[in-house]
Amino acid sequence: MMATRLTFLGKISRPLRLIAYAALAILLGLIPFTADGYWVRVCTNFFMFVIMVEGVNIISGYTGYAALGNVVFFGIGAYVTAILMSTFGLDFFIALILAGIVAGAFAFGLGMPILRTKGHYFVMATIGLNELVKQVVSNLDSLTGGGKGISLPIPSMPPRINYAFFYFVMLAIAIICVFVVYRLSKSKFGYGIRCIKANEQAAGVMGINTTMYKALAWTLSAFFTGLAGGVYAYWQTFIEPPVVFDVVFAIKMFLMLLLGGQGTVLGPVIGTFVVEFLGELIWGHAADLQLGILGTLVIVVVLFVPQGLVEVTRNKTIGRIFSTRRVKEPQPVEF
Amino acid sequence: MLQQLVNALLLGGIYALVGVGFSLIYGVMNIINLAHGALIMLAAYTTFWVFQLYGVDPFASIVISMALFFVIGFILQKYIVNRVVGQNVLMTMVLTYGFELIAVNFALYFWHADYRAVNPTYAGTGLEIGDVVVPYIKLGILTVAIVLTSLLYLFMTRTKIGNAIQATSLNKDAAQLVGIDIQYIYSFTYGLSAALAAAAGTLIAIVYTVTPSMEGGFLGKAFVIAILGGLGNSLGAIVGGVVLALAETFGVVVFGAAYQQIVGYVIFLLVLIVRPCGLVGRRFFSEL
Repeated sequence: MMATRLTFLGKISRPLRLIAYAALAILLGLIPFTADGYWVRVCTNFFMFVIMVEGVNIISGYTGYAALGNVVFFGIGAYVTAILMSTFGLDFFIALILAGIVAGAFAFGLGMPILRTKGHYFVMATIGLNELVKQVVSNLDSLTGGGKGISLPIPSMPPRINYAFFYFVMLAIAIICVFVVYRLSKSKFGYGIRCIKANEQAAGVMGINTTMYKALAWTLSAFFTGLAGGVYAYWQTFIEPPVVFDVVFAIKMFLMLLLGGQGTVLGPVIGTFVVEFLGELIWGHAADLQLGILGTLVIVVVLFVPQGLVEVTRNKTIGRIFSTRRVKEPQPVEF
Repeated sequence: MLQQLVNALLLGGIYALVGVGFSLIYGVMNIINLAHGALIMLAAYTTFWVFQLYGVDPFASIVISMALFFVIGFILQKYIVNRVVGQNVLMTMVLTYGFELIAVNFALYFWHADYRAVNPTYAGTGLEIGDVVVPYIKLGILTVAIVLTSLLYLFMTRTKIGNAIQATSLNKDAAQLVGIDIQYIYSFTYGLSAALAAAAGTLIAIVYTVTPSMEGGFLGKAFVIAILGGLGNSLGAIVGGVVLALAETFGVVVFGAAYQQIVGYVIFLLVLIVRPCGLVGRRFFSEL
C-alpha cells in the first residue's frame, strides 16, 4: 500500500512549472471554443468521471471500503437537482449544492449502520442499497415521475454556450475535487482513513474514531458524486432510474480507479483519461460492442495491471514525467 | 391466501436453486460471483434455442445445459478466475462483472433485446385441489429443485470430491497438506455452481420470459437469498430462497405489486446489518 505524492512536472524548476500549468489552463480554457461539439461533450464526460472516480477513491482507495454501489449518490444527486429545479423552481446552483448535501447526508446516515459490515458484506450492502433506492425512486411516481423519468427545465442558452457552460462547471468541480483529495491525502484525517485501510483494529486502538472517520469519508465521497449527478441531470435535461442508478456506471468507475491506481491523487485522473478517451475511440466505431469491450478491459486490467498505472510507471521512463515521492504511511501494528 | 402460499413455495424452489450455486462459490473461494446472473441468462437462452430449434422438452434440456455450463464454468475458473483467488474483494468482484458484461453484450448482439418464451404444450394445465390450483409446470420445477439440492447434499457428503470441496472451504492450507489439488477443486466448484445456475436458468426459462436484461434481477435475487441463508452456506440458501419467495409474495399482497423488489432489498439490508451470518447461520467467517 504505497502512498505516492505526484507533482505534475515536479522535476522541472518553478518558473517552468508555472508556465506548464498556465499552458494547461489555457488549453483547457480554449477547448470549448475551438473544438467540435462532440469532443467538448467527451471532455465534459471525462471531468464528470474524474469527480466520481475521485469520490470513490476516497472511500475505496484510501479507506479500503469498496463501495461498488457508489453510483447511488450519483442518482440521488441527479434526482434531487431535477426535483428542486422542475418542481420547486430553484436556481441551478442552489439545487446543485443541495443535491450534494442531500447525497452526503444520506451517506452519513446510512454509513453508520452499513459501514459496520466489512469486505464482501459491505460491497454487497452498497449494491443492495443502490438497487433499493432505484426501486423506490421508480415507484414514487408523484415525486420522481417514477419509471417514466423526469425532465428538467431546458437551459435557455445557445447550444455553443450551453456546451461551454457545462464543460466549465464540470471542470471546476473536478479541479476542486482533485484538490480536496490532494489536501486530504496529507491531512490528519487522510492518515486516519489510510490507517483504517491498513488495520482497522489497530486504528481503533490508536485512538482513531473509526466509525466517525469511515462515515465522514463516505459522506465526502457521496457529496462529490452527488454534485456530478446534479450537473449531469441539468446537462441531459432528462433522467430516468435505469440510467442514473446504472451498475455499469459503477463498474466503469472502478475500472478507471483500478487502472489509475487506488489511493493516489492523480491515479483516478489518469485512469479516467485512458478509459474515457480510449473508449471513445474504440466504441465510437462499435457502439453495439460497448459492454463487451468494457468487460474485456475490466478483465485485462484486473489480471495484468491490478496495482494501477501510477505504480507501474514508477521508475520507468514515463514515470519520470511525474516525479513520485513516497509519503510515510502508518504501518499496521503487529501484536 | 392458501393459493398465495402454494405459489410462494413453488417460486421458492427456483430461488433456492439460484442461491445455492451463488453461495457455494463464496463458501469455497470467498468470491462474490457477479457473473451468476449472466450464467442464468445464458442457460435460459440455451433452453430456449434447444426447444425452438430441436423441440427438446425444457425439463429434458436441464441435463444438456447443466453439462454445458459445468464445462464453461470449469474453463473460466481454470484459466482466469484462479489467477485472482485470494486477492481483495474488489478485484474478484470486478473481474466476474467483466464476464457478466461480455455475456450480456453477447446476448444483445446475437439475439437482441426481444422477449422470448418457452411454451411446452402442457403449459396451461394444472392440478386442482379444492380451491387451490397447482400448475404442473411449477410442480415439476419444484420437484427438480428439490431433487437437485438433495443430489448436491449427497454429492457434498458422500463423494470423495464433495468432501474435498468441503475440506477446502474449511481450511485451504490443511486441505493442501492432505493432498487436495486446490486449483482443481476451485475449477470443479465453479463448474458445479455454473451447472446449478444453468439448472435455475432452464427452470426460469419455462415460467418467465427470456431477455438479455434478466441477469440483473436474478443476480440481485442471488444476493438477497445468499445473505438470508448465510453467505457461503449452500444449504442455508434453500431457506433463504423460500423466505424471499414468501416475503415477495406476501409483500405484494400487503403493499402492492410495485413493492415486490423493495421488500426483498429492505430485508436484505436489515439482515446484513443486524444478522450478517444469515437467518439460520452461525458466525463462521472472520470478516463479520
